[in-house]
Amino acid sequence: MALEQTLAKLQDLNLPTQIRESVWMFPTIETVHVFALVLVVGSIMTVDLRLLGLTNKERRFSEVAAEMLPWTWTAFAVAALAGMMMFSSKALTYYGNIPFRLKMVCLSLAGVNMLLFHWLGVRRLASWDHQRPPWTARMAGGASLLLWTTIVAAGRWIGFTT
Amino acid sequence: MIEQFCDWLSRTSLSIAFQSANWFVPVVQTVHIIAIAILLTSVYAVSFRLIGLTRSTQPLAALAARSAPWVWIALCVLLCTGILLTITEPARELLNWVFRVKMLLVLALAGLLLLVQGRTGRNPDYWTQSAPRRRAARALGIATVLIGAGIVTAGRWIAYV
Repeated sequence: MALEQTLAKLQDLNLPTQIRESVWMFPTIETVHVFALVLVVGSIMTVDLRLLGLTNKERRFSEVAAEMLPWTWTAFAVAALAGMMMFSSKALTYYGNIPFRLKMVCLSLAGVNMLLFHWLGVRRLASWDHQRPPWTARMAGGASLLLWTTIVAAGRWIGFTT
Repeated sequence: MIEQFCDWLSRTSLSIAFQSANWFVPVVQTVHIIAIAILLTSVYAVSFRLIGLTRSTQPLAALAARSAPWVWIALCVLLCTGILLTITEPARELLNWVFRVKMLLVLALAGLLLLVQGRTGRNPDYWTQSAPRRRAARALGIATVLIGAGIVTAGRWIAYV
């Protein structure tokens, strides 16, 4: 299959081979990945809990989101880069790994959830910015919490199955 | 002495039960990681303010008071899940020097957080009242960021050392 040949070529490149063969590179990249991802999850959860109307109730949603989301995106970029480096070192193994696939599906769903919220949920934001969000926004917050928990669980599970 | 304790602990029926359930360690580690996410985000929100990296409409004292319960609840969850993981694989943790470094870093972080929360709680303007205090705030912010990163790093390297 074409994709598998591409992945085989990818993991034979210089850097992926070095990461695979080195004693310290993989754990170091993994440490950066974990450090970045806890900040992604923590900052997203802060926004999700505000969407659910559970925390930061007396603060405007737009304020909480504006303070947290730049950190979320910066940390996500770091986590994604480190994740791609780890993936490239054993691309074929990860590609065939069920928890890895589950994690990618949940990441995509988290992206779709975010886009839907931006297109539909944020409309008429002014009317609920200072109060409990409407059910569509609460749904988006709940879905995000659930998806990110699954992403963490699946990510940890990869380590026990490869 | 510690070796014997690890040996004894790993033979207890509780440890054996945890070891024989394949899902146990990954599930407990997942809860542990989510608690770290909550801890580090709550700590860093205050650290970044102390350093002067971030601004907000929310005063530092309000932010510190808001983050405090999350910090201590997350630390309790981390302690409980950490104990469960130690019961499951005592030698992996207790005989590992990286684990010991991690525990010292956790104690240092808890101490600094108590200091920051205590001073801020008693006097909301404590950290801006004089130049030395502003410097102290910056130093405490940087120290808590670095110690937090050190805890995560040590935590991951326990598996490799």
